Amino acid sequence: MLGLFGTLNMGSRSLSTQRTGIELAGHNMANANNPAYSRQRVSVETAGAFATTQGIQGTGADVGAIKRIRNELLDDQIAREGSVSGSLLAQQQALKYAQANLGQQIDRLATGAEGSAAANGTGTQHGIAEALADMFNSFQSLSTQPTSEVERKIVLDKGASLANRFNQTDQRLSALRSSLDSNLEVDAKSANTIMSEVARLNDRISTAELLSEGTANDLRDARTAKLEELAALVKFEVSEGDGGAVNISIDGTIMVSGSQTLDQIETYDAGGGQMMLRAKNSTSPLNVMGGSLHGIITARDGEIAELQTDLRALAGLLITEVNAIHANGYGLDGSSGNPFFTGNDASDIQVNRTLVDDPRLLQASGEAGVTGDNSVIVGMAQLQTKQQAGLDGQTFSQRYTQIVASLGESISEVNFQVVDQGVVEKMLKGQRDSISGVSLDEEMTDLIKYQKAFEASARLITTVDEMLDTVVNLIR
Amino acid sequence: MRVTSNSFPTALINQLGDLTTRQAKLQNQAATGQRIQLPEDDPKAMRRVLDMQTEARSIDQYQRNIERQQEAATASYTVMKSLKTISDRANEIATLADGLDSPQQLAIYANEVTELIKHGIQLVNTTHRGDYLFGGTRNNTAPFVASYSDDGQVTSVVYAGNDSLPESEIGDNVKSSGHTLGENNSGSGPRGLITDSRSGADLFAHLISLQNHLRAGDTNAVANTDRAALQRDEENLIYHYGLNGATQSRLDVTLSLLKERNFSLSSEVSKEVDADLAQTLVRLNETQNAYQAALQSGGSILGMSLLDYMR
Repeated sequence: MLGLFGTLNMGSRSLSTQRTGIELAGHNMANANNPAYSRQRVSVETAGAFATTQGIQGTGADVGAIKRIRNELLDDQIAREGSVSGSLLAQQQALKYAQANLGQQIDRLATGAEGSAAANGTGTQHGIAEALADMFNSFQSLSTQPTSEVERKIVLDKGASLANRFNQTDQRLSALRSSLDSNLEVDAKSANTIMSEVARLNDRISTAELLSEGTANDLRDARTAKLEELAALVKFEVSEGDGGAVNISIDGTIMVSGSQTLDQIETYDAGGGQMMLRAKNSTSPLNVMGGSLHGIITARDGEIAELQTDLRALAGLLITEVNAIHANGYGLDGSSGNPFFTGNDASDIQVNRTLVDDPRLLQASGEAGVTGDNSVIVGMAQLQTKQQAGLDGQTFSQRYTQIVASLGESISEVNFQVVDQGVVEKMLKGQRDSISGVSLDEEMTDLIKYQKAFEASARLITTVDEMLDTVVNLIR
Repeated sequence: MRVTSNSFPTALINQLGDLTTRQAKLQNQAATGQRIQLPEDDPKAMRRVLDMQTEARSIDQYQRNIERQQEAATASYTVMKSLKTISDRANEIATLADGLDSPQQLAIYANEVTELIKHGIQLVNTTHRGDYLFGGTRNNTAPFVASYSDDGQVTSVVYAGNDSLPESEIGDNVKSSGHTLGENNSGSGPRGLITDSRSGADLFAHLISLQNHLRAGDTNAVANTDRAALQRDEENLIYHYGLNGATQSRLDVTLSLLKERNFSLSSEVSKEVDADLAQTLVRLNETQNAYQAALQSGGSILGMSLLDYMR
């Protein structure tokens, strides 16, 4: 039998238990909008019982533990998918920049430089495609009047316009690759900062859990959020360490072990100005497989590098082919030997300055002194429809449109993947939210539940107090 | 499934985001009338459209080339008509001279023939857009150069042009020319307008011969030699009349075909690029309705909680 004082004590413990429930409901409500937070529940357990002659009698309830409601499997999946999303988003962003740099789009409403595209109703192309067609058309136009200095000037202007577009596109792509290198460095630093924070959180979790029973729920939530942030930057492997700590390794290199940051990611010049990743202390190259670091490298060294290489090769072959025919020609003054283009590829293609200064030197004629001959300029114009062995049997225009379509395919593919990945992530996060998210309705209900229990416990104490008064006043 | 306080707002934000993106895309399609603008929108269609636009731009240029050739052909025809008048008058004089024996009368005709030759030289040295029309590709100098005697008679006319026609493309690897050669004695290629070895035409030489025979009073030579020679020149001119007409007709037909091809390309590009405006606007309307419904239902649900019913 507990006796009156035992019952009074039981009421006091019950008050404390219900108060903890109310406090926890308040904590949950306060963190309702904290995305890193997982709801916590107080585990109420019956207090120790004792034997009486009538049987085993209970002594009320105690707080057993405060637990966070979390599914570790979902957390792992979300972190893994975060790596995939981080990579895809970085690729999507980089490729869209490349698309903008290429400047190739269809505009059905705009008029072309000469209004010709508007007249034929097919719209304008913008970009290199338009400049390429304009240059070949200017060759055709000059072939109708090879002696015309105006037509010669137009040819040189159109050639210069094409060269400028090649130069600008090449420069923009180089600048894009350089800015992707900078992004790589920034993201590597962010990853290092997050890994240091995980190490600090490991330390705090170990200390907190050593000093008291149970788990450091809020600190573990914060660490899970940091691991998800890290996953968006780089794919890593995580393993359980001592004292509730987690260890992080990237491509087999241990970065974080317990409270220690053993290594960090750094960028280095792998040759030719190509920035790559390696472990700072061990200096071993890191082959990252996910996260934005992976996405940046994939886009930079994949589609964007290929785009730049293809454009350079296209411009290089154009220079060679045009110059080869131009070399057989003669200017209005009978001169020969001036190349039409100078430079080697898209980065430095230019119309020969000598011709620009004196359009009469443009070698349109195939016979010295015969100014009305147009065989050379017609040959240059016919390059537009000539299938080039160096371009897999395509014409210059066809090759360019293939380059554009190839970039478009890559972006389109990444766009689809990003959408699919978004659906997966939304579903996983939705599942996690349904398990770990705070419901204000639930917390309000708990609040009432614990409040009523608290009132009942207080009523028990009042009743026992009155009973004690009765007992004390039995004898007067 | 347990729905928490953040499940609903998160889902609503995602739904509103999706609907806004869809509205922006449809609005852009409605405003531009285009289904695709960038390579990523439809890479395969983009490639086809770029190829077709390049072809359309080439066709535009071929049309301009044809117009240039038509200009040259028309200018050449004008010269031919005037040469025909000269030839007619020379034939007439050759016939009239047959019955004359007055040296004074013959000298008057001889002077007229001299003037006809000078006028003819002036005609065949016509320029078009700064280039000589009948000099072949050697068109920067006058193709017909005359020599005169002290008393102003034409003694010879030499051709300074060449026998290459200035051709330009009117289709992929299809060349044509609106020009006519002044002289071709090579026995191959296009015939010369004034002198041609295959037809035996040599208008200026024959006119000079007529001029000389008239001045010498050699009416027999006029009747037996010059009239036949001038007849060959006349026939050669008529041949070029026909050829010029055929060339212009061919250019007209080609121009018409190119315009049709351009129209066809425009339709094909339209099929690839243009948005179906009716469908786009209906879908935009549907999306706007869905957006309004999401806002309205979201707003009413978000505003309610258990707190509203607790005192």
